[in-house]
Amino acid sequence: MSIPHAAPTEIAIHRPGAQRMGFFTDTTTCIGCKACEVACKQWNDLPADGSVFRKGGSYDHTGSLSANTWRHVRFVETLQPEGGPTLPSIPPTQGQHDWDLRDPGSWLFMSDVCKHCTNAGCLDACPTGALIRTEFETVVLQPDICNGCGYCIPSCPFGVVDRDHDDGRAAKCTLCYDRLEDGLEPACAKACPTDSIQFGPYEELVDRAQRRVTRLHEKGRSSAYLYGAGDAPGEELAGGLGAFFLLTEAPERYGLPAQAQSPEQENLVPATLAGVGAGILAAVGVAAAMAFGRRR
Amino acid sequence: MSANRNGAGGHRDAAMTRGQAAQARSRADQAREAEQRRGEQAGDAEAVRPPALGTPASPGPWDRAQEGADVALHERDWGDARWSFLYGPDTDYASAAESDVEALRAAARDARTGDPPKIVQGQMMKPPVWTWEIPLYFWFGGMASGSSFVALACDLVGDERAARVARLVAAGAICPCPPLLIADLGRPERFYNMLRIFKPRSPMSMGAWALAAFSGSAFGAAGADLLGRRRTAQALGGLAATVGSYFGSYTGILLATTAVPVWSRSRTFLGPIFVATATATGAAAVRTALSAVDTPEAEPTRQALGRIATGAMTVELVLSEVNERRLGRLALALHEGTPGRLFTAAKWLARTGIAARVGRRRLPSWSEHVGDAAHLTAALCFRYAWVEAGKHSARDDEAVARTARARATAAEPDAELTVVEDR
Repeated sequence: MSIPHAAPTEIAIHRPGAQRMGFFTDTTTCIGCKACEVACKQWNDLPADGSVFRKGGSYDHTGSLSANTWRHVRFVETLQPEGGPTLPSIPPTQGQHDWDLRDPGSWLFMSDVCKHCTNAGCLDACPTGALIRTEFETVVLQPDICNGCGYCIPSCPFGVVDRDHDDGRAAKCTLCYDRLEDGLEPACAKACPTDSIQFGPYEELVDRAQRRVTRLHEKGRSSAYLYGAGDAPGEELAGGLGAFFLLTEAPERYGLPAQAQSPEQENLVPATLAGVGAGILAAVGVAAAMAFGRRR
Repeated sequence: MSANRNGAGGHRDAAMTRGQAAQARSRADQAREAEQRRGEQAGDAEAVRPPALGTPASPGPWDRAQEGADVALHERDWGDARWSFLYGPDTDYASAAESDVEALRAAARDARTGDPPKIVQGQMMKPPVWTWEIPLYFWFGGMASGSSFVALACDLVGDERAARVARLVAAGAICPCPPLLIADLGRPERFYNMLRIFKPRSPMSMGAWALAAFSGSAFGAAGADLLGRRRTAQALGGLAATVGSYFGSYTGILLATTAVPVWSRSRTFLGPIFVATATATGAAAVRTALSAVDTPEAEPTRQALGRIATGAMTVELVLSEVNERRLGRLALALHEGTPGRLFTAAKWLARTGIAARVGRRRLPSWSEHVGDAAHLTAALCFRYAWVEAGKHSARDDEAVARTARARATAAEPDAELTVVEDR
């Protein structure tokens, strides 16, 4: 398998011998314990979100990825809530019940994180050079440079990066760049008790993920697929995701887009050609209208 | 891989020479000692551990585990990651057989193409965080670049007085731009980082440079006028108009180059729409300024400016209409809520301005100023509406999901979706 690489023109740290590192998040082994969220907050010194059920119809109390939440275990309730945005009632596990607690189809968990895209929209958008590509081909935001312009936020097709209201700077997962430099695995992967979050050299990780999907297919879970890795050329998500996922439902069920590309790489050339063309046309048009008025 | 399974705890005898193992052991010992020393220096256990509540949005400070240690990188084989039971010989987590890559690709393709699933559970993407300063900046910037076009045109036809007024309007309109942009930053005191790099790939970076170049040449031109340097003023005015052809359109390019459905799907329309509005505001502003400095109404430049403002606003209305029709489902963001009201107001104001121009022979003379004011207000409403529509569209999980599946615009097949409210 060939590893997708970012364009060499990016602002990047180079170090001989370093290789692409990534996350493989296997949603079939996630138990929704949120240990990764806690470990991430502890290592990166991020404030808590508070224990409020803020999403209607869900037991997830984190909400979403944000400037202060760099790992987020998304709870996807496939239980049908009884009308309105209420929490679905979970039947008692003792005695008679028709809901099987062991059935993973009733409740999906997915530990969401920055995708560290090969074609990263946030990195392409950043006007200050605060967002850079590291030697591990991850995308890191340098908090000492970011001036909080907010352009990376609508440029991320996955809705990852966000600006902190009080702090004023954007922030997101660093794939524990500080730990990587010391040869340690990221805090979330270290904390994950079921190894739903796996970390390693990209090539190895993809190979393992593919074998995992093959095993699931062998077992009859034919809906399992990899989101963001191993795709055919031209079909990759944002050029291939540094942090990819094993999913069993359609991506939209987890709040992920079915297709994604760095908006800069997709739209910049047509938008600029149309815009600058119209600008020149306008300048010429104004001069023509002025001259026309003279002659009359 | 299995030979390295115990890499973190024990020593990988199979992969390591005796010397390397000893080295690793001594490194580990040194690290332990350093940790112990630090603990002793800190005094109590509480001081060693960083607090759980820290500085928002910044990673905690860190020291290398070992002072002056080599950066480990892959030489250590990332042994830390390999402790897991998942890779034991007795588990069947992953298939031992070589994967059929084509079958896996087909599985991913099935899930990611075709019709979307019945249920979408957001949040799909984050809405832009820009507040009122940004559309106001777009408006002033558009007015400045429109005025620079007018100044160039006046120079070309030889109306020096009007050219001077237009250059002054351009310089005046650019004044509030930098403060507005800086005020919108999360960290205004770091505004100078915008000019830290030159990045053609980022419209925000190019816009910052265009603003610097435009305001430099516009101020230079206005200053040269005050000093009576006619040729210099004309040259700098020409430079400002050249930069202005990008400066007036880049705001549309900036919005189009995002993942927001309604903006990105209007990518070839936003630049032209923004330039049309800019030209209309520039002409209307210069015309108002000309009447303020007692230019007779029948003066050809003033008449031509009325024509230009009306023509540009008509182009903007036509482009908006065409764009809305082709956007299909995504045009909801332009019709509903606050952006919908703003768009309606903007369109009626623009029509008022056009009507004042068309019926000028039957209307009293002050109707000309009403028309200019209507054009200027319409442009302001258009700017606010476009920025608000982007926020609306990004919060619309269905719109984002359908755009990713190419099921959003009028030209694409329709799809049924239920959105689970998730915020």
